[in-house]
Amino acid sequence: MPPCGQARTATMAACDVAYSAAAGVPVTGTLRHLGFFYQTADEYAEVVAGFLRAGLTAGDATFAAVPPAKLSLIKDALDGDAPGVEFADMTDMGHNPAWIIPRVRAFTDRHAGRRVRYVGEPIWASRSDAALREATRHEALINLAFAAADARILCPYDTAELDLSVIADAAQTHPLLLSGGRHVPSPAYAVQFHIPSTCSLPLPAPPGDAMSLTYRANLSEVRALVFKHAIDAGLTEPRANDLVLAVSEVAANTFRHTDSPGTLNIWHNADEIVCEVRDSGRITDPLAGRRMPAPDAPGGHGLWLVHQVCDLVELRSDSTGTTVRMHMAILPPLPGI
Amino acid sequence: MDLLTTSVATVESEREHYTLVKLAGEADVTNCGALRELLEAEVAKQPRTLIIDLDGLRFMDSSALHVILRANRALDRQGGVLALAHPREPVAKMLRLTAADQLIPVYPTVDEAIAG
Repeated sequence: MPPCGQARTATMAACDVAYSAAAGVPVTGTLRHLGFFYQTADEYAEVVAGFLRAGLTAGDATFAAVPPAKLSLIKDALDGDAPGVEFADMTDMGHNPAWIIPRVRAFTDRHAGRRVRYVGEPIWASRSDAALREATRHEALINLAFAAADARILCPYDTAELDLSVIADAAQTHPLLLSGGRHVPSPAYAVQFHIPSTCSLPLPAPPGDAMSLTYRANLSEVRALVFKHAIDAGLTEPRANDLVLAVSEVAANTFRHTDSPGTLNIWHNADEIVCEVRDSGRITDPLAGRRMPAPDAPGGHGLWLVHQVCDLVELRSDSTGTTVRMHMAILPPLPGI
Repeated sequence: MDLLTTSVATVESEREHYTLVKLAGEADVTNCGALRELLEAEVAKQPRTLIIDLDGLRFMDSSALHVILRANRALDRQGGVLALAHPREPVAKMLRLTAADQLIPVYPTVDEAIAG
């Protein structure tokens, strides 16, 4: 059973109502979320451009977010039709996979009342294992977040590059597969909302040399430690402050929602700094932090901010507690600086 | 030393009527109760304009933001205006990411907040 299983039914209902109200359109439940497993660039260009062109012909709002090389393939194939489609570089827009659902939601909101066609390719071979897991989780959450949307969503997977396990997970996260020009049900897809088990495996333990701090109300000490470690690891000051905000928001949840201390672990290598916060609380909403709260909403800003400022966030929560692992890449200095 | 320090000044002149609340230090879930009491007390005095000077604030979390948003709602209901002035970049970024800057006017300086 996935960790969010207990809250599944209530959460789905709440999401449907919230999203349909936010979009100002009636609940239609006509989402078609399609996986597309391709092998060649020609096949990719033909199928993806065909999908978008069909949307343009039908008057749908069309949007494609894929890696840059694939953007060129699509634009070339669409030729004169390309200006009718909104494009985004998925390596920016979906750098943190948790950014994608709010971005697509903003697109559907902007085109409320119209059917939406969206091509999203959040999974590519050079992503880290952690990012692949989170991108796979994102694919599963599409089914929840857009359950009530009048949308056609096509997700291409490069079978020549990706591991078989990634493709197997994609078969679990897509109700339909596009095969030979037809929509066929994916046999691995479960009707009940489900996140592939690979996304919920326990996180590997922090390295033995991680710095550890137990906290409760001493959040200022938490922030000072994170800032110092982030600067020492090579983050720029603005990004160190981003990480400070993220860790402080998660630690604030410990203070507000539990009655026991939390534990912070910090470590870094040449590529990234990681802060992990563990406490006895429980987060049951699988979409937590993936909806932009109304500015005057009484809550929900904490996890929203955490996802917005971090490069990657891993969250595991069950009856024993919650672990939130926040990643920030240590970027090489810009040339000449 | 307190994590969060506050000071309040009220200006009543021919040309200007406003209350200036200065915050310094760090505002978070552990001390936002005191901030709430302070702002509620000032809102109860029914100022025309309440300006919160954020220049000295090194850090603000979403709990402290909620307290400010609450004060904004209360003041708005009684016909007053709340404005934020001089946020440092980390605080300004947080106001942008939550879109709180769409609800409450944010000015680069206190003088500009006074001028409205």
